[in-house]
Amino acid sequence: MAITDFTIIRRSLRTRLFSTITTALTVAIAVGMLLVLLAMMDAGKQAFRRGSGDMHLLVTKEPSALVSVLNGIFYANAPAAPLTSAELARIQTDPRVAMAIPTQQGDGYKGLPVMATTTAFFTDFAPTPGEPWRFTQGRAFAAPFEVVLGAKAAEMTGLALSETIHLAHGRSDVGTHEHSDFDYTIVGILAPTGSAHDQAVFTDLTSAWTIHAHDRRMREDHDATTTPDDIAETDRLVTGVYVRAASRRGSSSSAALAPLAYQLRKEGYMIAEPTKEIDKLFTIVGNINTIFVSMAAVVMLSSAVSIMVALYNSMEQRRRQIAVLRVLGASRGRIFGLIVTESAVLGLLGAAAGVVLALLGGQIVATTLKAKLGILVTPTFPPVWVLLVVAIAVLLAAIAGLVPAVAAYRTSVAKNLRPVS
Amino acid sequence: MPDAPALHIDTLRYRYTPTGPWVVDIASLTLDPGQQLLLTGSSGRGKSTLLYLIAVLIEPSHGSITIHAQDIHALQGHKRDEFRGQRIGMIFQTFNLLHGFSAAENVMLAMMFSNIPRREHRPRACELLEHLGVDRPDAPPEQLSIGQQQRVAVARAVACKPDLVLADEPTASLDPENAAGAMDLIQTTCRESGAALLCVSHDPTMAERFERRASLDELHEKTSAEAQR
Repeated sequence: MAITDFTIIRRSLRTRLFSTITTALTVAIAVGMLLVLLAMMDAGKQAFRRGSGDMHLLVTKEPSALVSVLNGIFYANAPAAPLTSAELARIQTDPRVAMAIPTQQGDGYKGLPVMATTTAFFTDFAPTPGEPWRFTQGRAFAAPFEVVLGAKAAEMTGLALSETIHLAHGRSDVGTHEHSDFDYTIVGILAPTGSAHDQAVFTDLTSAWTIHAHDRRMREDHDATTTPDDIAETDRLVTGVYVRAASRRGSSSSAALAPLAYQLRKEGYMIAEPTKEIDKLFTIVGNINTIFVSMAAVVMLSSAVSIMVALYNSMEQRRRQIAVLRVLGASRGRIFGLIVTESAVLGLLGAAAGVVLALLGGQIVATTLKAKLGILVTPTFPPVWVLLVVAIAVLLAAIAGLVPAVAAYRTSVAKNLRPVS
Repeated sequence: MPDAPALHIDTLRYRYTPTGPWVVDIASLTLDPGQQLLLTGSSGRGKSTLLYLIAVLIEPSHGSITIHAQDIHALQGHKRDEFRGQRIGMIFQTFNLLHGFSAAENVMLAMMFSNIPRREHRPRACELLEHLGVDRPDAPPEQLSIGQQQRVAVARAVACKPDLVLADEPTASLDPENAAGAMDLIQTTCRESGAALLCVSHDPTMAERFERRASLDELHEKTSAEAQR
């Protein structure tokens, strides 16, 4: 096979193998970082969309919509201000409402949040649109003092079906008051959903209200045991309502949504549209992302500089080679092109390795997020982004090659053909 | 132009700086096709510089050089490089073989810038090396003996069937025995390929090998004398 410009480039890169590998590695790290960050930005947003599922509105009495979403769907903290049973009934009976599932938070089990709700939570609400709840073991609660464990909660506690537990008032491990008078039996374990719900313990509202009725009665010096019959109207509190407005069959949007939200807001409720709040959250987080992407861009620029330095330093050893090629008939322009192309090839090699690093890195980050936080993130690398990042890397590398290429262009043939003394 | 001289130099002058002394100062020098000329001269007399002028690697301060009636310094840009690659072969004291390429590839590199069809490069390089007695064409030059490296350098110089071969102190780094062998090889190869040979050397023992000889010092003095007349 004849020698071509690419043969010369390949041999040149192979002759300086260590420098080639280290330089390509810096490009690979930069490209990998940039791609993982870009993929995670989108995947993170998608992951946070999980959990709010097919609800339209979250109705609470929290101070802000974002706080109500973070508390009511992502279990950041226990909501503080409750809604009364009358308020719940008002929402549930509104003709524009297709689904209104009450939730109550405030209790915990070994640091895990407890969500008291109704069976409609498992039948009418899907944590991710089109992906209803699935049980890996058991079933939904059907009677008071039965609990269902989220997938992550089951994994973290190691609890199995039929085991009994005691819930506590409050979420932290210390300083909480345990409801030791009431045994809860585990009747179901949910399949992972990739949402924050995976780390929750679910029970029915009647149980939660009974416990709080018991606490009230204890404060009122009642010694007798408390049953659901002892629940007073003041005990029937909820901290949030998952609402879906009535819509046409098969449609996820609803014409009733805006007037319903307006009406409820006017009545003094905090109305949050989870998807909008997540978008708001990511606008805030977006600034941090910009910093990360800027950092990756700086790493990419520095990798281009390292290509320039590596090639420029190699010029000292290559002047004789360049001089010989000139004697053999290579024009200055061809020598210039050879160096720029070599630089671009170095960028391309690094970028290709960077894409592989990004694919691996994305999986590692996704696995870690799933293991540590229970958040299901699926990093996606749209081909357009990948091609764009690779093209930028190659272009930067080619630009970085201009300085050594000029040095090569200006190499004096006569000076560099003299015998080395 | 078949009868045109392989090389003709006319009032060629070169100096490194505008006011410096003339390093090359030749009134006239002609080399016919296939002719072999030894140009002697002490160190620093501009022997290598003259070769670089002939190879269009540096610009003369004055005068012209024609190769087969082509004023080579009148050529512009890449045409000069093409001309050099196809019509001139060069042999150096230290061979200047490229590392990272095999012996055959070093020869093929010379053909890369010519209009020889690509598919012919390798067979032609191997054939040439075999003819010159290089038995390991795929070995890197550094693994070959000095004598074999010299053969590769000669093969590279004549690979494109040049009109003119320029040899710059080709035996300076060889012992007398190898030097004699190398010169035999260079002269025979040039004769076989029909190329004219201009060999510069400060080695006085080379003189007997060439029918035509010239001293760079004498050429310079002749020019000065003519200028004074």
